[in-house]
Amino acid sequence: MDGALIDLQHISKVFPPATVALSDVSVAFRFGEIHALVGENGAGKTTLMKVLYGLERRDRGDILLRGEHVDFRNPREAIAAGIGMVHQEILLIPEYTVWQNIVLGAEPVRGLCTLDTRTARERVARKIEEFQFNLDPDAPVSGISVAARQKVEILKLLYRDVSVLILDEPTAVLAPQEIGQLFSELEHLRDRGHTILFISHRLDEVLGLSDQVTVMRKGKVVATSPASALTKEELARQMVGRSVVFAAERSPAEPGEPVFVAQGLTVMGADGRETLDHVSFEVRSGEIVGVAGVEGNGQFELVNAIMGLSPVTAGSLSVQGFDLTHADILARRRYISFVPQDRGKMGASLPASILENAIMTHHILDRSFRRWGGLGLNYMRASALTSQIQTQFDVSMENGAAPFESLSGGNQQKVILGRELLLEAPLVLMDQPTRGLDVGSTEYVHRLLIDLRNQKKAVLLVSADLDEVFTVADRIIVMSRGQLVADLRTDETSREEVGYYMLGGKDASHAQADA
Amino acid sequence: MNVFYGLYSAMLVGATPILLAAIGGAFTYYAGIFNIAMEGMMLVGAFCAVLGSFFLHSWMLGIVSAIAGALVMAGIFVLFAVRLHTDEFLTGIALNLFAVGLTTFLLRDIFHVKGAFTDPGIVAVPSITLPLLGKIPVLGRLVSGYNAIIYVALLVTIASAFVVFRTSFGLRLRAAGYNAACLNSSGVQTPGIRVWSLVLCAVCCGLAGAYLSLGSVRLFAENMSAGRGWISLAAVILVSGNPWGISIISLLFGFFDGLTVFLQGSAIPTQFTAMIPYVATLVSLYFYSVQKRKTS
Amino acid sequence: MRKQTLSGILGVLAALMIGGLVLALQGFNPFSTYGALLQYSLFSASGLSAMLSRAVPLVLTGLSASIAFGSGLNNLGQPGQLVIGALSATLVGLFVPLPPLVLIPMCIAASMAGGLLWSGLAAVLRRAFAMDEFIVTLMLNFIADYFTLWAITYPLFDPTALSPMTRPVSTHAWLSEVAGINASVLYMVAATVLCWLLMSKGVSGYEWRMMGQNRLFARIGGCRVDAHYVRVMLVTGALAGLAGGLMVMGGPHRFVKGLGANYAWDGVMIAVVANNSIPGTFFYGLLFSMLQQGAIGMELVTAVPSEFIDVLQAIIVLVVVAGRVSLNLVFDHIATRKKLRESLQ
Repeated sequence: MDGALIDLQHISKVFPPATVALSDVSVAFRFGEIHALVGENGAGKTTLMKVLYGLERRDRGDILLRGEHVDFRNPREAIAAGIGMVHQEILLIPEYTVWQNIVLGAEPVRGLCTLDTRTARERVARKIEEFQFNLDPDAPVSGISVAARQKVEILKLLYRDVSVLILDEPTAVLAPQEIGQLFSELEHLRDRGHTILFISHRLDEVLGLSDQVTVMRKGKVVATSPASALTKEELARQMVGRSVVFAAERSPAEPGEPVFVAQGLTVMGADGRETLDHVSFEVRSGEIVGVAGVEGNGQFELVNAIMGLSPVTAGSLSVQGFDLTHADILARRRYISFVPQDRGKMGASLPASILENAIMTHHILDRSFRRWGGLGLNYMRASALTSQIQTQFDVSMENGAAPFESLSGGNQQKVILGRELLLEAPLVLMDQPTRGLDVGSTEYVHRLLIDLRNQKKAVLLVSADLDEVFTVADRIIVMSRGQLVADLRTDETSREEVGYYMLGGKDASHAQADA
Repeated sequence: MNVFYGLYSAMLVGATPILLAAIGGAFTYYAGIFNIAMEGMMLVGAFCAVLGSFFLHSWMLGIVSAIAGALVMAGIFVLFAVRLHTDEFLTGIALNLFAVGLTTFLLRDIFHVKGAFTDPGIVAVPSITLPLLGKIPVLGRLVSGYNAIIYVALLVTIASAFVVFRTSFGLRLRAAGYNAACLNSSGVQTPGIRVWSLVLCAVCCGLAGAYLSLGSVRLFAENMSAGRGWISLAAVILVSGNPWGISIISLLFGFFDGLTVFLQGSAIPTQFTAMIPYVATLVSLYFYSVQKRKTS
Repeated sequence: MRKQTLSGILGVLAALMIGGLVLALQGFNPFSTYGALLQYSLFSASGLSAMLSRAVPLVLTGLSASIAFGSGLNNLGQPGQLVIGALSATLVGLFVPLPPLVLIPMCIAASMAGGLLWSGLAAVLRRAFAMDEFIVTLMLNFIADYFTLWAITYPLFDPTALSPMTRPVSTHAWLSEVAGINASVLYMVAATVLCWLLMSKGVSGYEWRMMGQNRLFARIGGCRVDAHYVRVMLVTGALAGLAGGLMVMGGPHRFVKGLGANYAWDGVMIAVVANNSIPGTFFYGLLFSMLQQGAIGMELVTAVPSEFIDVLQAIIVLVVVAGRVSLNLVFDHIATRKKLRESLQ
């Protein structure tokens, strides 16, 4: 390709033991463009960029920089060649100050390898001024906002004089106004001759910001085209591989009696501030309530409070009239099916077998899982349950003795869903149940949620994905700074109104006007 | 007054090996390695010190051999934990066992004795009388006339604080412990930093070992590190690696250790006085845990 | 499981080869040395019997460490729990005049209670003050060591003895020999079977293993992890205590100085090579006792010092553990290549 600054040719990458992350990917990036990489979770965008940055080794393929073959074995070599990457999870050291974070790995030194603090601070201050980033070089990173941390990350690369910036989902943690500011800064950088590669799955911002768009799906490149030639629908079709039905078919909800009731639920954080601040709402049988909000606004604390992982300082919660405010976890499990957001952290034991993961909680609540006077575990009953989950939830697996981690993400989630739903608890609590799943599995989960509602379960769905909330929820409650700021009917609200509340807006008339 | 001087010097004698090993442990602690191999490094150091001093007739070469021995241990740690990604805890345990086995075996194999080896041919590390300060009454007795390694330990402590907090290596070292992924992405190879931290740790533990066998006494005994590596690990954890904190804790343990020696003639059975450093570790862990629980 | 066995066998063989190399470098003949090792452990009746007796504390402390590590607890206190258990059994054996049928179970119960008390102390410190059991159990080892030394030097000292030891316990507390094999071996085998049932077939074992692999998963699944923590601590302490008790009752019939010294870290070492599996612990316990018993014969026949075995054991630990990780990497690498080819077709 003519004039390509970076040319990735036939890149393949398999994660051990058998996850194909990239399969024969070829894409070229031109000098001075903003090039967006678009695709679903797990499409391989991040892996491709990590391969370029020397953080992951490719199994096949070539990388050409200005027409020359390069092979970065680590980020140091990539940085030396002028390529820098800002990761999705911000990689800074909170204990260090802004300038310490920026110079780390490229420190100016005096004799005896002594850190030349003055020179370092001056250089950082000069860079801050040059790019008009409005940062205090002496502020500890632990005390600055997420948007400021992102600026520190970008500045860290500019301090190293890189000409190519890779940004992995930079907007995921930002509020809309902050996104606008970031975009103008990126355009400013492009106009100064930087090349920007930028990963996203938000279609609007991709079309608004970038010059070129490359769509990836399942480890392959679907197409690269100029942003001006694309529409949102076309982009969505390329991403998913077929036309996307933005609205799911579902019958109107027929809510029954309240199943879950939270009243003035309050949780105190470690610093004495209220991380959950007098939250009251209810979930009725036969309805799905979606909890929307920018991440880190109390959703995590809400889930922990419901499950009994963190103590409730004030208020109460009950399921079917049973007060569970201070109940232990086991008592809650009789009433709540729980699908946590992180499979490896809370949802399962990865090295354990599928069977061992499938029977958790059942083995306590259901006496038929015991033998020998309650001391022995009835493995016959356990494999019966595992098979039941396998058939009922369509898990593709060989046998229950295989390690849970050998399953694909979607199948892992199905085992967890099966385990939790077969508990037959009246309340179903799902925390980001589709995170990291492919489209098929995501749709499966959504249909399951609607089925559960039709079976008159009460479903509480916590999701950072507004589209998901609008697809399945009957009612949407919005959380902001630990407070419940809105309780809306899905068919009477809009994404814009919910977005307004997510950003901390409280004035209902204003929200309507905005919408 | 003599009681005071006696206790004071016993405190320094007890504190020195723990201080040195803990400073070594601090380097690996900052680098984010769960290193429990100080005990083994120290033991091998103590043995190699005797080996070098006895055969090469020089205490300096004894110290050099001690450091070399500890470095070999660090090399094994690097091979298994850093290169082959074996669990650090397991590697540490295996290395400590290896150290006990190896030194006992070599004691038999080279010196043909069981239990302990002592010989007039072992050259001990001398004491140093400071030129001017040593003449001053009271103060002279407090600062002069101690074993050379004690002064080295003091220098090592100051140098470690300088390296950790004032140099570019220190900035990277602490970054390796705080967030290795960040350091990698900043263009520094975390494994490289970790290897260096292990090298520094081995040098310190080698010195600690040399002090055990050539400093306070002039012999090597089976398992003569006697849990000092574990106490130094506790010291590192208690102060989160801070070298100044480590020196205070080490002096505290040294004091209790000195007390042990001091109470030997008294009515209290030696077995109980010998427990004091370990009980002291538990007591300080108690205060640490209670404190930590309050703040979190 | 099969991978585990394979990497174990390969690791032990590789370690033996490294050991052989060390021997050859020292000018010894590795074949005759290993031959003597086997001759004096497996291939003679007295050697075999002694080897099995020696395996008792190794396997039991190994089981203690395996169960603790497998449940996510850093109980490194087996040496201390062992000597306290031994002292408890000795006390009962010395001062309780009852017939064997009652006294033997009492001594065994006492030894387990002693070990359990010592590990329970660590559990209490953890539960009450959040003190990490890792350092606590280590420090308690030294304290137990000095405490028992005091006990056998002063209050329980046998005035006729030259070094610190107690008087012999009542003959009613002696474990007899069954077909040339000390009865303590039978208790050890029984304990292994019980531990296996507990860990592989029991509800507790299931919950403990899940807790060891992912504490939060077990907790959110409704397992009472705090109660389990204490239980695991008590059970593993009792196992180590039992080791001490059986050593006294089956062997010297008294508490002699340095009783537990040779077994200080062996239990932890065995658990580590066995990767916390119960059958693995049993077999590595037997392997290590074979090496240790054979070492005595080896020293008699060849000029190799018996301490060589300590080195060999540490090499086995390092090589088997590192081999397990490396072998997995090799398997992963092969699978990766295969998948890569498939994906490109």
